[in-house]
Amino acid sequence: MNYVLKKEVFSKFVNSVLKEKGIDFIAPVKSEQNDIIKFQKLISFSDLCLDKNAYYPLKEWFFKKNEVLFEFKGDKITIPEKKPKPKIFFGVRRCDLNSINRQDVAFSEGCWDPYYFLEREASTLIGYHCFEKEDNYCFCGSVGLEDHYDLMFYDRGDYFLVEIGSKKGAWFLKQRIRFFKKTTERLSARKKVIKNANRLQKKNIAPFYDHKNWKKGVDLCLGCTSCNTLCPSCYCFEFKDKVNISNLKNGKRIREWSACQLKDFSEVAGNHIFRSDREHRFKHRIYHQLQYFNEKHGKHLCSGCGRCIRGCPTRIDFVGILNNMKTKKPNVKKPKK
Amino acid sequence: MIKNKKTKTKSTKKSLKNKKVKKSRTAKKPQKVDLVYGLVPKKKKIIDFKRETSINFTLKLDWKVKHDPGQFMMVGIPGIGECPISICSYSDQYVELSIREVGNVTKALGNLKKGGFVFARGPFGRGYPMHYFKGNNVIIVGGGCGIAPLKGVIEYITKNRTDFKDVLLYLGYRSPDDVIFEEQLKSWEKKFCLNVSYDKAPAKSCYDGKVGFVTELIRKSKFDNKNKIVFICGPPIMMETVINILKKKKFNNDQIYISAERRMQCGGGKCGHCMIHGVYVCKDGPVFRYDELMDYKND
Ligand SMILES: Cc1cc2nc3c(=O)[nH]c(=O)nc-3n(C[C@H](O)[C@H](O)[C@H](O)COP(=O)(O)OP(=O)(O)OC[C@H]3O[C@@H](n4cnc5c(N)ncnc54)[C@H](O)[C@@H]3O)c2cc1C
Ligand code: SF4
Ligand code: SF4
Ligand code: FES
Repeated sequence: MNYVLKKEVFSKFVNSVLKEKGIDFIAPVKSEQNDIIKFQKLISFSDLCLDKNAYYPLKEWFFKKNEVLFEFKGDKITIPEKKPKPKIFFGVRRCDLNSINRQDVAFSEGCWDPYYFLEREASTLIGYHCFEKEDNYCFCGSVGLEDHYDLMFYDRGDYFLVEIGSKKGAWFLKQRIRFFKKTTERLSARKKVIKNANRLQKKNIAPFYDHKNWKKGVDLCLGCTSCNTLCPSCYCFEFKDKVNISNLKNGKRIREWSACQLKDFSEVAGNHIFRSDREHRFKHRIYHQLQYFNEKHGKHLCSGCGRCIRGCPTRIDFVGILNNMKTKKPNVKKPKK
Repeated sequence: MIKNKKTKTKSTKKSLKNKKVKKSRTAKKPQKVDLVYGLVPKKKKIIDFKRETSINFTLKLDWKVKHDPGQFMMVGIPGIGECPISICSYSDQYVELSIREVGNVTKALGNLKKGGFVFARGPFGRGYPMHYFKGNNVIIVGGGCGIAPLKGVIEYITKNRTDFKDVLLYLGYRSPDDVIFEEQLKSWEKKFCLNVSYDKAPAKSCYDGKVGFVTELIRKSKFDNKNKIVFICGPPIMMETVINILKKKKFNNDQIYISAERRMQCGGGKCGHCMIHGVYVCKDGPVFRYDELMDYKND
């Protein structure tokens, strides 16, 4: 069963959720200083900005930039008690919903990451559908996105069509049913297609690993790691021990984001660096996004959001680089596992 | 590590419940972060500390844990850090780790004493699947620090001697001063066909024994590929040379087992540091059948 939320009650709906105690409402908000859109706690309805997707991804809410794993006092280890506040995320685009799903996969594969899932379980994801690509960097139509949401909002002019995607979503809606009306309207898959967003033309990029174009394209890379930081799917991390300056025996171990575009990402004892040149590091990122993850889980890690291109200071367009590689003369040396 | 499916569904339900509780605003029990993932190390007592060389030492930990030879632990000291170290023993009573001092963590570990504590988590990874090799001849090739995980293999074979036929050991050290497991060598010499080589003579000594690379010993040896399985662990360049020699002796890729070394942070297939072309060394390795990971040297 689908629901309708009239635009004239939309602000009432948002304001009523904002007033609820014990729940945070997180939505895209445009910064007044630099026009950058970012997910943050919504204070008033007028701050909500649905014009464009957020510049920064949502991942930092679940996969924290700095997560305290435990604290230590000499020989004693204590795990901080975490009680995440329930959070409603509103206005999440299809690409980002998929990226969150990929991180769910990564953090539950083999063993289950408690720190990540505490936050995930406290969250309800409400999507906002794009009918058109946002700019030329988007290529979500090429990477086979799936439906992953608790609720999905489709903008239909003077109302939102709302689809339920999970029990959590249904429960959330039921609590606020006074704003919604039942409807029999359904959007066909064809109507939901995001137009002009299949810019990446290659289905399988494996044969192009040794292609000469990589080097030319990657020569511009500054190694700034913006691509890693902005990517909603990238999930690599490292541990750091932060000690108290007054007592070096006390401190905490922290999990931080790390970036495969940095040399020391693969450095081992003896100062040996496995991916010492930029091209290999760049390719490692692309191939993890578009091949390795797929081999394991049957879907791409990359959700085609385009942030890594949009946010790159030299605008290295890996989609363009891949598109320009000709199938006829590939260097067929497939990377061996 | 994998037994956590249950925990997951349980806590999902719990958290949904929590939400309702929150609405009615009654006090609720805080959720406890569970430790299945093994991100939080355990405190383990050092029951023996042995200096092997000026920079190598072996720790024996009071830790009864089931493991395969070739698996590793993340060992460290809070405040300094942790690093991956192979288990070099095979026992259900204790865990031995043989470590070379190369940096912060390993040097700090080297300053510990018997009776002290380390913080460790594990065991991680896939070791040598020893039960597959029943009835085979085993050739073990180790270089330097790479001999540590192989000591676990040798101890496994000693405990299950009838499962294996001939056992050939080829161990290479930089010089007689760099020998680790000196005591064990004596007993291995009696039980197995032991060959030891030194790359060079020690700087100030009157050593006049043979000098040469372990790879040369293998090149000169006369064994063939029949019913044999080879374990190689050592620096990449040595593993490569040995593999080339074995290929000339008509060994198949699936008769050769290698170990890969990568930077590691989590040990559980999450942090991404150890990845080689989509393979996690920490989870899918560090021991690989050669045909699983022909590209171990590259990125
Ligand atoms: C599966 C595996 C098994 C190993 N088994 C043994 C063993 O049995 N005995 C032994 O002596 N050594 C072993 N090592 C190597 C050992 O992990 C490194 O020597 C150790 O990480 C160095 O740490 P450090 O803090 O002392 O050095 P650091 O001061 O951190 O730096 C020294 C060098 O080590 C690199 N390094 C730092 N952290 C790591 C890390 N987490 N993983 C890899 N390299 C890192 C640094 O980039 C630097 O180049 C093993 C490594 C792996 C991957
Ligand atoms: S954002 Fe661009 S310049 Fe920066 S590391 Fe990524 S590819 Fe290189
Ligand atoms: S790799 Fe680039 S396009 Fe793909 S999800 Fe990450 S930031 Fe978006
Ligand atoms: S060590 Fe973290 S993924 Fe292998």
